[in-house]
Amino acid sequence: MNGTLKITLAASLVAGLAGCGNDSEGNGWVGVLAQAAGQAVAQRRAADQPAAPAKSPEEAAAEALRVNPGPLIQAGFEGLGRTQVMAMTGQNGAMRTFMTPAEEALILRGGMLVGTRGLGHDLSVAEPGTEGLIRAGASGSGTRVMRYFAGDGVERPLQFACTVGAGPAPGVTVESCEGHGASFQNSYMVQGGQIAVSRQWIGPDLGYVTIQTLRP
Amino acid sequence: MRRSPLTGRLLATTLPVALVLGSVSSTAVAEPMYGRNMSTYGLPGGIDTPTAETLPDGTLGATVSWSDYGRRSSVVFQALPGLTTVLRYSRVDGINDYRNDGYISDRSLDVRYQVLDEQGWRPAVAVGLQDFLGTGVYSGEYIVATKSVTPSVRVSAGLGWGVLAGKPRTIDINDEGGTPNADDWFRGGAKPFASVSWQVNDRLSLVAEYSNEDYVAKYSSGQVFQQGEEPGSGLNLAAFYRFGQNYEAGVYAIGGETIGAQFTIALNPRQAPYPSGLEKAPAPVRPRPAPAADPDGWSGVWAQDPTAQPAIQTALGEAMAKEGQTLESMALSANRAEVRLRNGRFINQAEAIGRTARLMSRALPPSVETFVITSTADGVPTSSVTVRRADVERLENTEAGQIAAASALSDAPTGAPGLVRSEGVYPRFRWSIKPYWDLGIFSAEDGVTHEVGAEARASYEIAPGLVLTGALRQRAFGNIDQRGPGIPGQRGEHYTPEEYLADPSLETTPEGVPRVRSDTRMYTGNSDPVIPELTLAWYAKPTPAVYTRVTTGLLERAYGGVSTEVLWKPANSALALGAEINHVKKRDFDQLFDFRDYEVTMGHVSAYYEFAQGFTAQLDVGKYLAGDKGATLTLTREFANGWRIGAYATKTDLSAEEFGEGSFDKGVTLSIPLGWATGQPSRERVDANLRSLSRDGGAQLNVRDRLYNHVRDSHSVKLYEGWGRFWR
Repeated sequence: MNGTLKITLAASLVAGLAGCGNDSEGNGWVGVLAQAAGQAVAQRRAADQPAAPAKSPEEAAAEALRVNPGPLIQAGFEGLGRTQVMAMTGQNGAMRTFMTPAEEALILRGGMLVGTRGLGHDLSVAEPGTEGLIRAGASGSGTRVMRYFAGDGVERPLQFACTVGAGPAPGVTVESCEGHGASFQNSYMVQGGQIAVSRQWIGPDLGYVTIQTLRP
Repeated sequence: MRRSPLTGRLLATTLPVALVLGSVSSTAVAEPMYGRNMSTYGLPGGIDTPTAETLPDGTLGATVSWSDYGRRSSVVFQALPGLTTVLRYSRVDGINDYRNDGYISDRSLDVRYQVLDEQGWRPAVAVGLQDFLGTGVYSGEYIVATKSVTPSVRVSAGLGWGVLAGKPRTIDINDEGGTPNADDWFRGGAKPFASVSWQVNDRLSLVAEYSNEDYVAKYSSGQVFQQGEEPGSGLNLAAFYRFGQNYEAGVYAIGGETIGAQFTIALNPRQAPYPSGLEKAPAPVRPRPAPAADPDGWSGVWAQDPTAQPAIQTALGEAMAKEGQTLESMALSANRAEVRLRNGRFINQAEAIGRTARLMSRALPPSVETFVITSTADGVPTSSVTVRRADVERLENTEAGQIAAASALSDAPTGAPGLVRSEGVYPRFRWSIKPYWDLGIFSAEDGVTHEVGAEARASYEIAPGLVLTGALRQRAFGNIDQRGPGIPGQRGEHYTPEEYLADPSLETTPEGVPRVRSDTRMYTGNSDPVIPELTLAWYAKPTPAVYTRVTTGLLERAYGGVSTEVLWKPANSALALGAEINHVKKRDFDQLFDFRDYEVTMGHVSAYYEFAQGFTAQLDVGKYLAGDKGATLTLTREFANGWRIGAYATKTDLSAEEFGEGSFDKGVTLSIPLGWATGQPSRERVDANLRSLSRDGGAQLNVRDRLYNHVRDSHSVKLYEGWGRFWR
């Protein structure tokens, strides 16, 4: 409780320093820092005070299905420790963009993760050479290229060698990838060429996301 | 598996440390030999002795090291993978000069080049120059080799000259410093030194070394000073502890008698907390419906309707405003649309262009096939990216190089047929009231100085390219008081403001150089409101590759008048040429509307070139504020994420005596985008300018918004460097 209060106070002091004006573009470094601090506080508050009883993922899914008539997925971000319902905001061929209310996005192609946006350690684009094998439920190997922003602002590819095969449970295809001293395992449940449920690796910082189709 | 340098670099930035460490031990090829701790001189080393280690390319660090010998504050920059540079401000205890303080303040510059990296049995080898500008307290040279004996133990051995051999060079008390004394380098007898470092665990490392440094300073006047206590032996010991990714603390013992402590902070531009940024996801592309589903839209008949463009322009403008983009104007026909945007949010222009392209795919009728996205700066168009709508639809969220290959970058003419200005964009009035904080850290004479106050700022853009800007400052408190320039011949003494104002002849130095910057402290310490600037600026573009600027009014704190500039910079050219002519008058010290007697016409011609890997060079040749003629060379390294680190040097026809301490003007500039640190998208930057001294020679006019950096954001080198953010 005390901690929250102190942080809020500090933030309001900074916000006071930020001054005033109509110049939103050039709010100065103080202003930008205050904004960042404000958001950090908001997040902290949200985490500290679950004032309204938190909805369970099932309740959230049921409510979203009632309110939103379009395609919906439920995504569990393991690295972020949260599960969210995401609604489709755009479709370009087989590629669909799903967003949270805070406008963080997952980009899926027939259920295969091809990118994320707004998460800070985003996957720019994935080029899974194993996609055909996974959709066909076949075994084999292929190359997967995952492109990320490096800290210097340049998009760079990481290449992984992957093998695809049947998983331990029936109907589950597992893709095991290795490269650059890292390894990860994606699991897919494929129904009629569509990936209905999956657990896919976004990247080293965000870890895995579990994606469940609520309404195709 | 042998990793390419590129992959290695990426791993260092996107994968957590644990992954990197894990992969290193499993590969036969070692990473480059990165330093584990900083020496007391602020670069990878033992304790006092150097090693052949480097830092990850681009690392910027600062080390403060305290002991009875003094206090060294060093800023280190790994300018190239093998080139380490250090700028150091030291308080050296035990030396009495004319100030009779019992210590001296000393600036020094080091460079070290790693000639060979460690490979197999071959050790890494480096050559270094310490305090090499002029003869200083720390002047010395070395050749050193470093070898990993086990994964956790490294041994270094080398030969040192000068201070490193315990044979300090004699300091000429009349020398103004600042110029290399190459005749002394690697002369005067060498002695060996050595160090061992043991990485106990991830955080702790222990170092032992044998050093010949005896902490003696010799002057040409015959005086010899012992800094602190004479080391009892050559054996030094230290322990360093690393916490977090960026901090290191250390304690050391020199010669068994003198204890010291140091603290280091290191930042790497490549290690952003949120490499991809936290900005909200972009609106996705909306592919066009089949022609049968929207025959009117595909036929282009809508273009006949006079209400179509205003409605589309308003909708697109509102959508762009949410992305921090201003739709300044738009030309729309049945199959082509050109939008002119001002980017108010993103460091990389490519992100602004990419988001605008997607919004266009959502807002424009299906028959519009060609998108022309023109960037503007200061109301003037700077470049156009032309892309087919079908490619935007086809390539959405693919590797960014594909859309780069499918688009074309060209110069943008001032006007375009059918261009309609958006309503409500001009005139544009902006204002703000903010605190300001001026901080001087590295002043040799004054230590840390600061001033805090409030600044009101307003700008009124009457029409595209015509901007009225004004600022008003009120100091609240601080210790940067008003003071006259130093009294010639009495080093360390200054004229009082009253003395300086009473005798106009003092505004020229005894050597006959007008005081254009050395009396800069006369402009500080005002308790009344001051006007730092009040200008009317006009930006224009007479031909598609030529930009012009005319700024008139109170241009900066100390000068007012007219500044004119012309720049030739084709969008696809790495070369740019420019010229600037200013006629300015020195402002009165109250910083209001009065002027002093000094008036000068000055200016320069400039050549700019963008090299590979983010290096840019700028050469200015011309006449400076004091009427001296010469040249300034600026080298800047720039990262795609917006970090800029640069160094400049100015030499003019003034002699070293006329010029004053330092002999020529030099400095380091640093600019860090705030978004890099916070993850929030912003064009704001934190800038720092470390310049050695405010002297009268080689002084430049500080007019705002020179053309080159404004124009260049949307030109080929910078645009494509940040092109990876097109689909962000």
